[in-house]
Amino acid sequence: MKKIFFLISALVLILGPLHAQEKLKTKSGTITFEASVPSFEEVKATHQNVSAILNTSNGEFAALALVKGFRFKVALMEEHFNENYMESSTYPKAVFKGIIADFDIEDLKDKPSKYTIKGSITLHGETRDLNEPVQIWKEEDKIVVTTNFKLNPEDFNIKIPAVVSKKIAEDVDVAAKFNLQN
Amino acid sequence: MKKKLALLIFAIVIIGGIIGYNYLYQDHREIATEEPIAELTSESILEIFRQEDSSEILNATVTVKGKISEINETSITLDDKVSGSFSEIPGDMAIGMEVEIKGRCIGYDDLFELVKMDQCTILNN
Repeated sequence: MKKIFFLISALVLILGPLHAQEKLKTKSGTITFEASVPSFEEVKATHQNVSAILNTSNGEFAALALVKGFRFKVALMEEHFNENYMESSTYPKAVFKGIIADFDIEDLKDKPSKYTIKGSITLHGETRDLNEPVQIWKEEDKIVVTTNFKLNPEDFNIKIPAVVSKKIAEDVDVAAKFNLQN
Repeated sequence: MKKKLALLIFAIVIIGGIIGYNYLYQDHREIATEEPIAELTSESILEIFRQEDSSEILNATVTVKGKISEINETSITLDDKVSGSFSEIPGDMAIGMEVEIKGRCIGYDDLFELVKMDQCTILNN
């Protein structure tokens, strides 16, 4: 009897971590950023094909957006964004890699809980640390991760010419949402 | 004479305004009606990104043939090698179907190790 019990607990110990090492992912996360200045043309773009993977066993999170996938309302703005600012032919990707602090999938609720994500973001060939709050909750078979934060283009060596600098906000508001599932 | 000059200036301003407006608010590319620069398969497009220089097909309209390996709300994946996003996924798509899609190639996704396309449409098989 004791042996069986031992065997079962051994199996649980071995298989448990394997099961927990699940990766949840999406290929269609969204990122929206806005750098509008009141009374000027709206500077806003949305990307609906952002890839992201969450390792639920340790809270590791990675997201990747192909810069050319950001869509603007104004075509010329999209062109300038790609060619002059992000130089998306040379730097095609924007990548985040990090870890959600104190993440435990068992703690998640149907309502958003606050966590902190720590990691680094790379875009336009420059890498900067990112340490921002995120909201995470369960929704049916999905885990939803959302975040809002500000980025400063200058930190990434993106130069905004003086002529248009009045029309583009200094801090860019970034919002992201990922519906992660198996 | 003065009247004529005023009229001329007025006309120049209007025409300049129209040209300027059309430049600033030019239409987006229409991928669905653009002529594709290459006809590829899921295998060959991935190969381009793995080995060759991809600058020619980046941001260009291409067609890709393959078998559907995944469908989600906004995108279809072919053979786990290419993922294309649609504004609306046609209702009759199913996993395992052979299709040809047309779209704009936006780059290589290291996370999933596949090529991504957007503004896709399904070509008639």
